[in-house]
Amino acid sequence: MFERHGQPAAVICTEAFEATADAMAEVQGAPGYHYVTTPHPVAGLMPDQVRERAEELAVEVAGLLAARAAGEAA
Amino acid sequence: MAAEPDPDVAREAIEYCYEQGWTDGLPVIPASRALVDQFLAHTGRPPEEVLWRMDHLGTECTVETAAINAAMAGCKPEYFPVVLAAWDAVMRDRAAKGGGWQSTSGPAPLIVLNGPIRQQLGFNSTGGIFAGGFRPNATVPRALGLMLRNAFGVIPHVFDQTTQGIPGRWSICFGENEEVCFWEPLATEMGLEPGTSAVSATLTRTYEFVDNRHTQNPEHVLWDIADTISRTGVLIFRSQSVTVVLGPEHAQMLASAGFSKADVKDWLVEHCGRTEADLRSAGKDAVSEGGLGGRSAGEEERASPDTFTRVLPGREDVMLVVAGARNAAMSMVVRVFGQWSNSAVAIEPARAPVTAASPEGG
Repeated sequence: MFERHGQPAAVICTEAFEATADAMAEVQGAPGYHYVTTPHPVAGLMPDQVRERAEELAVEVAGLLAARAAGEAA
Repeated sequence: MAAEPDPDVAREAIEYCYEQGWTDGLPVIPASRALVDQFLAHTGRPPEEVLWRMDHLGTECTVETAAINAAMAGCKPEYFPVVLAAWDAVMRDRAAKGGGWQSTSGPAPLIVLNGPIRQQLGFNSTGGIFAGGFRPNATVPRALGLMLRNAFGVIPHVFDQTTQGIPGRWSICFGENEEVCFWEPLATEMGLEPGTSAVSATLTRTYEFVDNRHTQNPEHVLWDIADTISRTGVLIFRSQSVTVVLGPEHAQMLASAGFSKADVKDWLVEHCGRTEADLRSAGKDAVSEGGLGGRSAGEEERASPDTFTRVLPGREDVMLVVAGARNAAMSMVVRVFGQWSNSAVAIEPARAPVTAASPEGG
């Protein structure tokens, strides 16, 4: 949705929801849409554990955003 | 006398439906144009009317698509106005419009009928209301399940993200046993004229029965029901709603002792809940602050161990229904997924002749 308005975006999804995310991308007209995954679950994480996850994913998220800003990955 | 139908031809048509991915795992009735038209003849609503649109998936269900799925579910054409009213009733539940159909809880619609439609179409409202064996009770909720699958595209393991789900998710539909109830029927309580055929519905998460047949004190029964409602397992928010399907013996005992429906609801609101110590033991003490779950380890206690947190915010969070046989004092506690709409939907009066109403359910 952000991208349709010209704003680069990156989606983070836990592995448990990959099938739904892929199907959702398809119905939204973006089959094969790239997103970042993280191990499931996240609901029980403490704030510092969430911060750790964010640090682990930051490079991948930044790479995806940069690629989208450059008009590369779909 | 008509020739006997060919079972091999029937099976071929059923297998074709399986191959198309149209079934919920059980065989469906192959829906011909002529059969669907019979369904449509039972409603004044136009076939192209959109019942609901699932915007994020770009899918919708029209009256005609609902008729096709009701036919496949095994409904008789004259059940169709009930299917439409049941859909409308469950969609009054805010949770159904807010992602409930794709929730990991896999909530089940609970569908309750009031009025003469129960006898006209042969809906069971007495023995075995949750136990199957009656065509209208079994096929109306199944129609909703097939609509979700075939019209909205909410298919298991893809857009249906149910973690475990509820046994009999698409089979929970029964009449209120008004004939043994000393209180006003549910639909009347919700503001419809007495004698109106109507549907009330909500999305639900768990079913647990209360067997209490050895006391003469109605407060013992209420205490037992409250204890069952107050389990920590289902708690994730402080606010929750509940449906209590009172068996006729429990309902008559309470009514005879002078309890109105409102009195029963108020008693449950006051007594349902857990102590801070219990919530903390389950790691759910944040619930007492209205939060999600809880974080006990290493944190300061939020309140003293004996602080009592109520889990039912108010009278409107309790649906009371009377159903079942009058042969043992049992009731069912049903946890509501979101919040019941506190309303009933009138069923469109019959437009075409009803083909058969079997009191045994057919």
